Amino acid sequence: MPTDNTRREVEDRSEEGSVGLPDLGDSIDAMTFEQILEMDDDEDEREFSRSIVFGFFEQAEQTFTKMDDALKDGDLSQLSSLGHFLKGSSATLGLTKVKDSCEKIQHYGQKKDDAGTTDEPDEATCLSRIKETLVAVKEEYAEVEKVLKKFYGS
Amino acid sequence: MDKGGDAGGQAANNSSDFVRKLYKMLEDPSYESIVRWGEGGESFVVLENEKFTKLILPKHFKHSNFASFVRQLNKYDFHKVRQNNEDNTPSPYGPNAWEFKHPEFQANKKDSLDNIRRKAPAPRKSAQNSEDQFPAQQMDLVNSQLMATQQQLQQLSERYQDLAQGHMVLLQQVVQLQKFIKNHDGVMHRVIGFLHGVDAQRRNNRIRAPFAANGSGMGVGDPLSNDPADDHPASPLQQASELLAEFSAESLPNKELEQMTHDYHLRHDYSTPPNDQCGPTIASHSETPSAHIGYQAGNDLDNMVYPVGHTNGIDPINSEHIHNIPYALPPNGMLQVEPMPEMIPEGSASASRKKGNIDSVWGMTKPRILLVEDDKVCARIGSKFLQAFECGVETARDGLEAVNKINNAANHFDLILMDIIMPHLDGVSATVCIREIRPNIPIIAMTSNIRADDIDMYFRYGMNDVLPKPFTKEGMLRSLEKHLAQFKKTAQFPNPAQMAHPSGFVTSSQSHTPLGLNMTQLSAAQSIKDETSPGKSPAPATTWQSPNQLPGPSPLVGSSPASYMQQPMRDTGPYGITRGTHAHPQPVFAGQNPAAMAGPRGQPHRRQMTEMAGTSGPDEHPEKRQRMYPPPPPPPPPQGNFTQ
Repeated sequence: MPTDNTRREVEDRSEEGSVGLPDLGDSIDAMTFEQILEMDDDEDEREFSRSIVFGFFEQAEQTFTKMDDALKDGDLSQLSSLGHFLKGSSATLGLTKVKDSCEKIQHYGQKKDDAGTTDEPDEATCLSRIKETLVAVKEEYAEVEKVLKKFYGS
Repeated sequence: MDKGGDAGGQAANNSSDFVRKLYKMLEDPSYESIVRWGEGGESFVVLENEKFTKLILPKHFKHSNFASFVRQLNKYDFHKVRQNNEDNTPSPYGPNAWEFKHPEFQANKKDSLDNIRRKAPAPRKSAQNSEDQFPAQQMDLVNSQLMATQQQLQQLSERYQDLAQGHMVLLQQVVQLQKFIKNHDGVMHRVIGFLHGVDAQRRNNRIRAPFAANGSGMGVGDPLSNDPADDHPASPLQQASELLAEFSAESLPNKELEQMTHDYHLRHDYSTPPNDQCGPTIASHSETPSAHIGYQAGNDLDNMVYPVGHTNGIDPINSEHIHNIPYALPPNGMLQVEPMPEMIPEGSASASRKKGNIDSVWGMTKPRILLVEDDKVCARIGSKFLQAFECGVETARDGLEAVNKINNAANHFDLILMDIIMPHLDGVSATVCIREIRPNIPIIAMTSNIRADDIDMYFRYGMNDVLPKPFTKEGMLRSLEKHLAQFKKTAQFPNPAQMAHPSGFVTSSQSHTPLGLNMTQLSAAQSIKDETSPGKSPAPATTWQSPNQLPGPSPLVGSSPASYMQQPMRDTGPYGITRGTHAHPQPVFAGQNPAAMAGPRGQPHRRQMTEMAGTSGPDEHPEKRQRMYPPPPPPPPPQGNFTQ
């Protein structure tokens, strides 16, 4: 439940703080991201993780555009599936906040509450929730994008 | 010329035209300097090749081709006399002379010419005969070949039509299945949602009780998990059962698919009995007692959630079938895997995270993995990890591509990692299709949708395990090791049957697959056969358990008993929801034969806990969290999710 989540995130961070990774800020799960960094053959070039991350940027921006369109059309199921899609890749990169928001969009799109447990029959409510969340997720994305671009020095 | 010779031979004397002409030619003294009898009259010599060809041959043989002349001589068994055969002395007739001889061809012995015959005239004659008959015979032959080819073509096109039709049917079925799944999903959600409500109530009540009692966790689990839905059917539940009843009534309408798969198996002479499970008959609501093992209360519940009667006719006592009991054995799933991170020393966990430190866990043969994932980011990271594990990797972008790849290279892959939500064909449908072809290949769902109902669905449709997203390297490797035990360096399979069928649990979930699709005629015997035959193991139960019983290096095995003990301590907090929602692990625990518990069934359920917790906090990073909590903290933290 939401309270649990926040609490855990705080805990995670405090434990991961000691890992000695480059400081990637609060929005990125260091443990998850680190295992991708470990896959880089060259720690200076970081070719693999760089291509993954920039591939994600591209994907995320496309997805946001599609979400905007779907929101205009009031297409909840499309929004849900877009949310799911971006959830997968952001989760894999450890972009916790983006992932959480995407999951909410996924649930709202299914006419559920944010945790996906309770039905929310009113489509208008769902759409307005998605609208809010979409604003939030774009901000969260902008934040990680900044951090990551700085990390990759571009 | 030859023919004339033969004819002439019969007319006058028996000698051939050619030989007589030759003899006559040699009688002419004017040719002395060009061609003449040899010294002893036992051979003749062509002294001047060129002149002979130009002047004499045309006169006597109507051509001017020396090679032809020589060939003709050969046919009558004349032989060229080779000079070097005789003492290396130069030819008495000059270096360019050609000397030919035949034992019967001698000067002044005209009579013996009759004895000179063409070599092997017989074949030639028969050849002539057959020349007449040949066309007819050949026509027949060509005709029959044509007929055969046409027939083959016809068969092929029929076969093709069969297949095309079958394909259509399959696709239709898949679509229907997807619809069914969707609806089923809806039902599950309702049920779970309702149960959440009930459970929340329950817990609220409980919270008032002294919290200290929860310290050990022991006392909490059982009472907490009991009778979540025993009191009132409540409207969500009723709705759900209505929905389900609707389904049972409509069923999946045709048996074509069944027929088709049957044919398919016959054609391909599969060693395993046909898996006809894909058909209608969602109808049977009957649940054998086995299904109730996990439920002390709420019969409504299991009928609603498991309306499909997959346990029909299965002996509940038989440990082989225990895995068929939905939710019956969640504890061992957790036991085997979940506690593991806590069991292994911190150091080794972190060490294994370093790329360079990943020792190859495989033996000589590296497993080949098919990674099915529509998301490029996940696919790339996934393949990268797999490559780091020294596995062969191939990717497919959706379920359709995956099915095609499996179809095209039937024995090419050793394991499939399968995303669930994908365009074109989702992971569950793809699994159903793949199970038709590869009943035993381990298929691991790779998804962030890890609610209990989701997970149960994956298992019911033939998947063997779940790797929650975001996946970690360790989590992935652990899954691989678990399902690919036969590839491991240290793998010891004393029994070839086990080798051939190393992941016995895969078979077991085979029987899981048909859930909801059981053919009416699929008797218990059939399903049992299905389970036992692929392994050809005389004692299937042993086979199933073998992967876990191996004295292998996997900490999983070793940790089982210990974690068994730990299990009760976990039952706190949100976890209780789970228990309320699903089976009651404790009773099952007590009731079942421990061997069965240790059995492979645990594997599919391995994630259940993750997922259960996920219902309350679905956003967790289960794998990550495992590392988070070093040694098992005796009084668990309030979030209960820590076991992930």
